Amino acid sequence: MKRKNSLIFKTIMYILIFMLVFPLLVLVIWSFSKSWPWPYLIPKDFGLRGFCYITSATCKSPRILVYSIFLSMIVTIINLLISIPAAKALGVYTFRGKKFFKTLILAPIIVPPVAVAMGIHVSFIKIGLANTFWGVVLVHLVPTIPYGVRILMNVFEIVGDSMEMQARVLGAKPIQIFFYVTLPLIAPGLVSAASMVFIISFSQYFLTFLIGGGKVVTFVIDMFPYIQSGDRMMASIYSLIFIITSFMVLLIMEKSVKAYYKTEAHFYL
Amino acid sequence: MNTKLKPYLLLIPVMTIILGIFTFGLAMGLAQSFGYFPAIGLKDFTLKYYMEILTDKGFLSSLKFSLYISIVSSILAVIIGVALAYSILQSKHKKGIEEIVYKLPIIIPHTVAVLIVYNILAQSGILPRILFHLGLIHDQSQFPSMLFDKSGIGIIITYLWKEIPFIAMVVYTVLSNISNKLSEVALNLGASKRQVFWHVLLPLVMPSIISSFIIIFAFSFGAFEVPYLLGPTAPKTLPVEAYIEYTNPNLANRPYAMVINMILTFFSLVLIWLYQKTFKLISKYSGGYR
Repeated sequence: MKRKNSLIFKTIMYILIFMLVFPLLVLVIWSFSKSWPWPYLIPKDFGLRGFCYITSATCKSPRILVYSIFLSMIVTIINLLISIPAAKALGVYTFRGKKFFKTLILAPIIVPPVAVAMGIHVSFIKIGLANTFWGVVLVHLVPTIPYGVRILMNVFEIVGDSMEMQARVLGAKPIQIFFYVTLPLIAPGLVSAASMVFIISFSQYFLTFLIGGGKVVTFVIDMFPYIQSGDRMMASIYSLIFIITSFMVLLIMEKSVKAYYKTEAHFYL
Repeated sequence: MNTKLKPYLLLIPVMTIILGIFTFGLAMGLAQSFGYFPAIGLKDFTLKYYMEILTDKGFLSSLKFSLYISIVSSILAVIIGVALAYSILQSKHKKGIEEIVYKLPIIIPHTVAVLIVYNILAQSGILPRILFHLGLIHDQSQFPSMLFDKSGIGIIITYLWKEIPFIAMVVYTVLSNISNKLSEVALNLGASKRQVFWHVLLPLVMPSIISSFIIIFAFSFGAFEVPYLLGPTAPKTLPVEAYIEYTNPNLANRPYAMVINMILTFFSLVLIWLYQKTFKLISKYSGGYR
C-alpha cells in the first residue's frame, strides 16, 4: 500500500516536471536548427546560422547583452543599498505606523506596473528622465523593492540586532559593525535578494519599453520583435542566451558570496 | 542617534522611491483619469471618462476576459503547484536534481515563456506534429487553434507554466520545514496519510498558499506582455486596452487609458485589503501559530 502510494506521487511528480522541462528542450533544438518544416519531429538540417549572426561583428546583440547586465547590476546594487536599512527598520524595530510602511512597500507587487509607468511617464519626460539609462534604472526599482525588502526583512527578523549590540559594547565603530557583523550575518539573504532583484530587472519588458522609449535597449527589448514576429529560430537563440546568462550571473553571485563568507547560501529564497 | 527616530530614518531611501515614483505615478494617473491633464490643456475635473468607459461594451468584455484569464490560471496553478510540492515531498527523501529543475521556469521571463508555449501549441508546433505521427490528425488545420483565440488557452497555459513552479517552490519550502514532526505525531495517533494532508499540512501552508495566490492573480491581471503577444484581437485584456489608448496619437485619449489603469488599480487595492483580512481570519482560527 505504502509502495503504491509513493509510486503515484512519483508519477505525478515526473509528469509535471516533464511538462515544465520538455518545452525548454524544444527551445534548445530550435536554436540549432537550420530548417524544421512541418511535420518533422526533428529538424531536417541542423545549423548555427543564428549563432553566427548573433556573434558576428555587424550584430549589436553582444553589446546589448553586456549593457543589459550592467543596467540590472546597477538596479540590484541601488536596490540592496536602500533595502538593507529599510529591511532592518521593519525587521528589528517596533514603531508607530510599521504596518502601514510594510503594506506600502509591498504594494508594487500587487498594483499593476502598467498603471504606475503610464502615470509617471509625462513627469519623467518633463524632468528629462524619460529615454535615459537612469530613468529606466529608477523605474526598475519600483517592482524590485518589494522583493529586496521582503527577503531581507525576514533575515533581519531572524538575526535581530543582539550581535550588533555586543559589537558596540565591545567598542566597534558603526562602519566596523556593518562590515564585520551585519553583512556576514545577512549574506545568505543578500544573495537571495540580489538574485531575485537581478532576475526581475533583467526580464522587465514593459517598464523599459515605455520609460526607455526605444532609446534604452536591453536584451529583452532586442529580443521582443523576434518573438512577436514568430521567427522561431532567432527567438529561440535569444531566449537560450538569455536563460544561460541569467543562470551564470546567479551562479557567480552565489558562489562568490559562499567563497567569501564561507556561509551556506541558498539559491532562491 | 535618537532611537525613536531611527527606524524612520532608515526607511527614508526606500520611501523616497515608493512615494516619489510609485505613489506619485498613481496619483498622476488618477488626476488624468478625472480629466485633469494640464499638459494638453485639460484642467477641469470630470467624471465623464469614467461614465464613458464603464458603459462601454468593449470595456466590459475586456474586464471579463481579464478576470477570466487571471482566475482560471491562478486557481489551476495553485492546485497543480500544491500537488507538485506534495508529490516531491512524498516521493523522495534526499535532495535530487528534481529540486532544481522544476524551478527553471521561475527565472525565465514571460516573453520567453510565450515563445515556449508557441513552439509547442501553435498549429505547426511540436504537439500537433506528435499527434500527426500518432495518426490522430492528418493535417495542421485539424489541430484546434489555441493561440490568439477568444478562450485564451495559450495565455492561460503560459501563466501556468510560469506559476506552477512558483507555487510549488513556496509550498515546498514551507512543507519541508514543518512536515516531519507534526505529521509523525498525527500518524502515531492513527491518522491516515490523507487525513494528515487535509487536516495538518494544508491548514499550515494555507497562509502561504493564499498570499502566493494573490500575488500571481494580481500579476496576471495587470500584466501586459503575454496577452499582447498571444491574445485575440478582441476582446483584449485591460492592460493591453490601456496601452492602446495610451499610444493613440490623439492625446485627448490619454484619460481613457488612465481610467482603465485606475480600475485595474482599484481591483488590486481590493486584493491587498482581502489579503490582510484573510490573514487575520486565519490567525484567529489557527490559534495564532503564525
